[in-house]
Amino acid sequence: MTDPRILWAQVARAAVNWKLIAPLLIAVEALNWLAPASTSTMLTEIAILALFAASLNLLMSFGHMVSFGHAAYFGLGAYGFTLAVVRAGLPPEAALLAGPMVAALGGLIFGALCVRLTEIYFAMLTLACAQITYTVLFQWYDFTGGDTGITGFMTPRLGLSEAGYASFALWTVVLAVLALWVIVKSPLGLMIRAVGQDRARAEALGLGARKVQLTAFVIAAFFAGIAGTLYAVLHGSAFPDYAGLSLTLDGLIMVVLGGLNSFAGGIWGAVIYQLLSTFVPKVIHEWELVLGFVLLGICLAMPHGFVGLLKRLGLGRKGGK
Amino acid sequence: MFWIQLVNGLMEGMTLFLIASGLTLIFGVTRIINFAHGSLYMLGAFMTYELVPLIAPGTLGGFFAAVLIAGLAVSVLGVVFEMLALRRIYGADGLMQLIVTVALVLILRDAVRMIWGPNSLSVPMPDPLMGALQIGQSYFPLFPIAVFAAGLVVVGAMIWTIYFTRAGILLRAGTDDRGMVALCGVNEKLIFTAVFAAGAFLAGLAGGLAAPYGEVNHLLDTTVIVSAFIVCVIGGLGNLYGALAGALVVGITKAIGVMYFPRLSMVLIFLIMALVLIARSMGRQGGSAR
Repeated sequence: MTDPRILWAQVARAAVNWKLIAPLLIAVEALNWLAPASTSTMLTEIAILALFAASLNLLMSFGHMVSFGHAAYFGLGAYGFTLAVVRAGLPPEAALLAGPMVAALGGLIFGALCVRLTEIYFAMLTLACAQITYTVLFQWYDFTGGDTGITGFMTPRLGLSEAGYASFALWTVVLAVLALWVIVKSPLGLMIRAVGQDRARAEALGLGARKVQLTAFVIAAFFAGIAGTLYAVLHGSAFPDYAGLSLTLDGLIMVVLGGLNSFAGGIWGAVIYQLLSTFVPKVIHEWELVLGFVLLGICLAMPHGFVGLLKRLGLGRKGGK
Repeated sequence: MFWIQLVNGLMEGMTLFLIASGLTLIFGVTRIINFAHGSLYMLGAFMTYELVPLIAPGTLGGFFAAVLIAGLAVSVLGVVFEMLALRRIYGADGLMQLIVTVALVLILRDAVRMIWGPNSLSVPMPDPLMGALQIGQSYFPLFPIAVFAAGLVVVGAMIWTIYFTRAGILLRAGTDDRGMVALCGVNEKLIFTAVFAAGAFLAGLAGGLAAPYGEVNHLLDTTVIVSAFIVCVIGGLGNLYGALAGALVVGITKAIGVMYFPRLSMVLIFLIMALVLIARSMGRQGGSAR
């Protein structure tokens, strides 16, 4: 794996449809620089949540591990970064690395416990782990600032303009999603999918199911941590809610909305969900109520989500899984 | 202080057990984890808030009647949800089923916020249960003891129903092998609906019983469901006695833990859960792995 030629071969084999994606990215980038600053902030948030949903999707669609506590790693990323600045006194630029590292470490500790269980028990345990993270962040006033969070410790966005930071976040997210895509297409990704589809058979073939699942868990936590770090930098603050249950549910909804069992599902879902949650509450006050009914409708009538709809209309990537 | 917290812990454990037992029963038969179970609990609390002033306010009988009616109302709502939504996705992917119940969580939370507003409400305690029992130098608050006792009655009724009635036989048969039950000519759908009704009733009852002893607001749903999940992980899903033991352990640990480690009581519960999981996967039973 260390040989750069092998790594490059993997990237090349991952076969991303640049003809489709490049114009889209350029369009987003143009919108970012031309539109007002509030649009740039919205674009940044969409990009960050797309990465969060994509990392959750790695677990759900490929590993068939339903995590009910993925926000914990988003929160750990945000707090890892924030605390590295506030408590360890690192310059913000250097602390950027600390966020994902802390999230991955949290993923390693919780994941080691969670992968002992499967299916519904796994989901319950991930939820419990996330709530414990949340409670610690919420209650440990001396270290994490408790329920008021930590604010005002740095200039938001590292001193960049809204559009400048949006651009930075966008390309970081693109790189991260690309890395996730390469992982899905790599031998490791195949192992994750094998264990997800038929654990017993994968074990019979000599794969250590728990080890593979733990690896997937740590990777997903790492990328969620990147998203959390980007979010903390965007607002220059960290709150316990970043690790809260509602963000976890948001992530799950994004993945289901976009479509399970497809790589793009989580990303599309995040884009749609974020756009809806920005504009719908301005029209209808009871946004969660609407969302609940939409979700019910999707589950009962359209179980493959938005990507499934695209495929049915013949717009999806051919033969894509 | 210790005794007060112990009694509080017993009460919280009992309400947790009522919720977790509903989760466990529903899971046993339908293989669905009802994520909205905490919302049903919350709804039971709000119904009790509405009913307590209406039925002989202040008296013991009035309070328990209000709680009972609240439980029945929640049960009716559960049946409606089961028949309209859940019934259509029994064979579907486990995640889809979870998401459908998550949708119910969102709907109920916003509906509650619309009807009762975002602020916490308080339910008056029945007058005879206001005080505390004094034994020697220690005080035992009456209300938690009464709730614990009421919970014990429910547990007794539940065990009697499960082991000595035809409904209980069908429930156990459905848990063991639902295909076989259907082959025997029993209407499978009816069992599912009945179990869901019973689970929702228990959740509503728990919400009503606990309502006077804390705040009633729209955030109850998630705090309760997380505790119930922890109870189920400790006790093992589908294991009623495990759920009872797990619920009491969690309730008492929470209450006593607050005295000694006010900031860390959740961490303590997490440690217990981790120990249970590690001990279990070392070979006591494989039940949790499947």
